Amino acid sequence: MIKEQSILLDKLQGSFKPGSEIREKTWKMLLEIGLPSKKSEAYKYTQITSILEKNIALEVNETPTFNKRERYKSAGTHLVVLNGVLSVENSEIEDGVIIESKDVSEGKHDPFSLLNAAFCPEEIEISIEQASSPIFVYHVNTIGFSNPRIHVSAKANQEIDVVEKSFNNAGTFTNSYISFDLEANAKASYSKIQSYGEVSYVHETIFAKQQRDSRFFSNVFTFSGSLVRNNITINLEDENCEGHMNGLYLLDGKSHVDNNTSVDHIKPNSYSDELYKGILDEKSTGVFNGKIYVRPDAQKTNAFQSNNNILLSDNANIHTKPQLEIWADDVKCSHGCTSGQLDEDAIFYLRSRGISEKKAKAMILTAFAAETIAKVPVQEMRDELEQLIALKLS
Amino acid sequence: MISIKNLHASIEDKQILNGINLEVKAGEVHAIMGPNGSGKSTLASVLAGREDYEITQGEVLFDNQDILELSVEDRARMGIFLAFQYPVEIPGVTTTNFLKTALNQIRESRGEKPLDAVNFLKKMKEKMKLVEIDQSLLSRSLNEGFSGGEKKRNEIFQMAMIEPRLSILDETDSGLDIDALRIVANGVNTLKTAENATIVVTHYQRLLEYIVPDFVHVLYNGKIVKSGDKHLALELEEKGYDWIKGEVAETV
Repeated sequence: MIKEQSILLDKLQGSFKPGSEIREKTWKMLLEIGLPSKKSEAYKYTQITSILEKNIALEVNETPTFNKRERYKSAGTHLVVLNGVLSVENSEIEDGVIIESKDVSEGKHDPFSLLNAAFCPEEIEISIEQASSPIFVYHVNTIGFSNPRIHVSAKANQEIDVVEKSFNNAGTFTNSYISFDLEANAKASYSKIQSYGEVSYVHETIFAKQQRDSRFFSNVFTFSGSLVRNNITINLEDENCEGHMNGLYLLDGKSHVDNNTSVDHIKPNSYSDELYKGILDEKSTGVFNGKIYVRPDAQKTNAFQSNNNILLSDNANIHTKPQLEIWADDVKCSHGCTSGQLDEDAIFYLRSRGISEKKAKAMILTAFAAETIAKVPVQEMRDELEQLIALKLS
Repeated sequence: MISIKNLHASIEDKQILNGINLEVKAGEVHAIMGPNGSGKSTLASVLAGREDYEITQGEVLFDNQDILELSVEDRARMGIFLAFQYPVEIPGVTTTNFLKTALNQIRESRGEKPLDAVNFLKKMKEKMKLVEIDQSLLSRSLNEGFSGGEKKRNEIFQMAMIEPRLSILDETDSGLDIDALRIVANGVNTLKTAENATIVVTHYQRLLEYIVPDFVHVLYNGKIVKSGDKHLALELEEKGYDWIKGEVAETV
């Protein structure tokens, strides 16, 4: 069978600079497996390769600037990353937090992770020497194709909270990658608000590897974007780990958001919990795919997943698919997905007490979303989410 | 206060109300009784403004204003309150938050300032006593996991907070044990003034022992077929609805 080489890879080939052995290996591997084709199951509802080929302008190249007003006010480390390069003069680093720019190390081997590894300007490594306040990372992406790459290393018994935000110019494609290594009994969280423009295209990979007794939490909130694809992978590589995935997508217009998540239980006695909620209005599209793997050794696994959606318009779409692959026999796994409309009886009830129809709907939807917000560890971000949701529903 | 004239309503092409005429004045309590399927709950829903029903004929005047074209919330803001037969459970919205929003939207529509937190709480405390409802219940999700009695008490609590001019109690007695019934009825009686009015929709006479009506109307096949005072309810209890059905059949 002759593999169709994508036009996009052809275009990129010219700009690929083989800097190191890893990059070269990565690029070769990518050429071998190719970008997702029309038939790729993992991208069934998000034809990313053809969308990118049609829409992104690789020649776009504006000077990035970070607007200081976008900074969170909370104390902590604030990192500004311009087109994937750490901007030291714009950043503020707390004592005990170590930030290093390195060349790329090994990572995940799926097409967009490889693409990121081949093209990222540097890998920004975050680690801590002592207990730290949250680490805020602001990305400004103004070139046609940018590949920010971050690695967070949580050593034994440490706790790290990372909050990320990206500002992407129109017409750009951002292919970001963030990985977490959690040593024994470490705890790490990753939280992000995705509020992108109508013509910006995004593929984000979040990858966590966990050792014994560690806990990882991801919280991803998406409000807009012409194409947002989140690949979240958690590998529970040892016993007694916890992996939590939490998310909300509140969409309107023609936003298209695809959350593709996976948790892999490799050893016994681990726990995973996933909750994604969606509110879809106008012509928006949501895609949710949740994979749970329970390997033969992973006895006594507890794995839970749920995806609940409310469709506010006849033209909105949701494709939801849980996928459980279980090879162990003594496990507790559950999954459930629901898609429905707003409860008319509930709206009538609220209105019958003098509350306007609009406010009644907003109250019900806000309550629906609240559970996902409550899991965010940083107060300022929870406040921001509440405001964003109120604004979106008003 | 409210004047219902020749009201016809249907749902999905099925005619439910066939020409209701009813006049309720301030200070009065009216009971509407009738067998299952006679249109009692439909009448209550139509007055509150439920949009599932189509009004095919007639008018409803509240303070001489036709309300049939008004939205549910506008009617509520004018002072019409429906105590639901099946109060809806709304996860994630607390009764307190819900009532605060409701009261303030009503006040806003009347050009009044919103209640501040202190006065709101004061009012809550005072009204909670009335229906013997517990604070902890009010900080939970609205009606979620409430017992039947708790739900009905919450309805009357909301009524006490909102202070409507016309309260329509839709089968408020259904599913209540005798103690809850007494508490609910006591709440309704305490809230009664010369300025407000109550329509009690019920299948059984039982509730009317506690909330004594000035007038009793019997609804059958979407029409009021008989009206009288409180004795009519007793007579109905004694003779059963077949008595009415028989009378109607004779006159036809």
